[in-house]
Amino acid sequence: METIVFYILAAVTLVGTVLAITARQGVHAIVYLVTSFFALALIFYLLGAPMVASFEVIIYAGAIMVLFLFVIMMLDLGKPEKIQTPKLYDWCPAILLLVVITGSMGVLASRAATPLNAFAGISVQEFSFTLFKRYGAAIEIISMQLLFALVGALYLGRRR
Amino acid sequence: MSVADVLSVMPLILTGVGALLVLLLGPFLQRGLVYCLAVAAGTAAGVWGALYPASYTPAIPGISFSPLARYLVPIFCIAGVLTLLYSHGYNDRHRIEGEEYPATVLFGLFAMCVLPCATNLLTLFLALESIAFAFYILVAIDLNRAESGEAGLKYLLFGAVAAAFTAFGISLIFAGSGSLELSAALDFRNRAIMSAGWGMILIGIAFKLSLVPGHLWTPDVYQGAPAPVAGFLSTGSKVAAAAFLLLLLGVAAPARELHVPLFALSLLSMVLGNLAALRQNNIKRMLAYSSIAHMGYLTLALLTGTRDGYAAVLLYGAIYTAMNLAAFGAIAALSGDEERARMEEYSGVGYSAPFRAGVLALAMIALAGIPPTAGFMGKFFIFYSAVKGGEIALAIIGIISAAISAYFYLRVVVHLYMRPAETTPPQPASPAESAALFLSAAAIVVIGVFPNALLHYLGTVLR
Repeated sequence: METIVFYILAAVTLVGTVLAITARQGVHAIVYLVTSFFALALIFYLLGAPMVASFEVIIYAGAIMVLFLFVIMMLDLGKPEKIQTPKLYDWCPAILLLVVITGSMGVLASRAATPLNAFAGISVQEFSFTLFKRYGAAIEIISMQLLFALVGALYLGRRR
Repeated sequence: MSVADVLSVMPLILTGVGALLVLLLGPFLQRGLVYCLAVAAGTAAGVWGALYPASYTPAIPGISFSPLARYLVPIFCIAGVLTLLYSHGYNDRHRIEGEEYPATVLFGLFAMCVLPCATNLLTLFLALESIAFAFYILVAIDLNRAESGEAGLKYLLFGAVAAAFTAFGISLIFAGSGSLELSAALDFRNRAIMSAGWGMILIGIAFKLSLVPGHLWTPDVYQGAPAPVAGFLSTGSKVAAAAFLLLLLGVAAPARELHVPLFALSLLSMVLGNLAALRQNNIKRMLAYSSIAHMGYLTLALLTGTRDGYAAVLLYGAIYTAMNLAAFGAIAALSGDEERARMEEYSGVGYSAPFRAGVLALAMIALAGIPPTAGFMGKFFIFYSAVKGGEIALAIIGIISAAISAYFYLRVVVHLYMRPAETTPPQPASPAESAALFLSAAAIVVIGVFPNALLHYLGTVLR
């Protein structure tokens, strides 16, 4: 049962992301991406991480995507992008990526899969203990980084 | 977390809190005082780092003040402080205002101090990314010049791609070993996944170290960035990226899969960097291609995977910091409202500004690797360790390309002293600039004549 649900969710995630990349209209792309985030959140839930699942919905699908939507609305970027049909040359990176992905899939599929230990549910307490104790230093560094990203954005925004 | 733990990570606290203080007090203090505060924080962190005993036990999970950190933190702090000293007068002339500049330099310094202290892959990656973040802002900080903004955007785009590659590589290593500890990177039981992870990391680091073919951003970014920032970028962030690789390799020989890519990166960078620099007429672009070549030499020493090789990398990191800060500092100190870009604009400056031109000439002679400067010692130990480590072909190519490089370095010296002046003589330098130039020039000469003290210390850094 779980396996079937997982494959359905994985398919939704992949299709949603591909559509988000190929969508011509910014707003459509965001809606596709939100769909893919919701499916991803459910995959996290299946893996036994309800906290991460709820963060995925609240922060990514909720806060960040709404922010993107605001920016698109504010800058009035709602009109579809006009792009020329890609030339043969433009396909080169895509073909290279395809070769890399097929190669890595081949390598991974050629070996016998070792099933992972079954995931036990992780409580909020365990999650926050790991996050703020074991990786507390990382949290501090990220906070500094975000602060200075903000400072830099404000400063550089003065450019005319 | 005990008092001893807090004391051992004091350099991180000093730089981090210093950055925040500068940001908070900036609007209320005079401009000079803000720079003084930043310089004081950087100096205090450097002195503390040099004096406090190192240990391998983590002070906080993920952070330990290791012997490597004790060696690198003072170097980064010297680079940061010299950058601040160069910037004060430069920013005055170029109307770069606001406390954001010194605060961001301190933030970059903070991230550089975190990097060698990292004991897990997450902290290591975040430190590397924080350094890049600081430079995204610093490169674009000159709001009056369009090139500065363009350079910032280019650096941001390349840096974001490099970060994606590095993060993907680290996640593959996590997938292959199931651990985020530094030792996980050497756990080659899942050979296929681990090799893929290392390959991704190498691509990311090739961008950061500007090794060919990841070098395309370097000339444009150096040209567009303010000269002191370009100096800090070419020293601090490059040495930090080299330290990233050193920490991952864990003072062991690189795995056999890494030999061919590292060999190619080193060969292409040394040859293409030096050949492309021959044709540059803009001094900052020339220094950019020269830094590509120098990072090629550094990779050559890494490739050998011997203790000598790693010692040579660390020694060269210190020497390269002194040389490039002297070069970019002199360019900054010689600039008026605009920087002197073309070689011809340096004609005759040797007589109108003898001290600054002398330091620039010394830096060029050191970069060319002529004794008795430190540049010779650095190159000597790199090629010595390469020959001893069995990379004789690459060492010979490196020596030949280093010999070719003498042409474009000495061309600057020829312009300084043997051509009639074409431009108006430069304004007098400020005391801060003169002091910083003196310090970097002294470092070049002292390390060149007495490298023993540094080498002896390096012996204790590499267990």
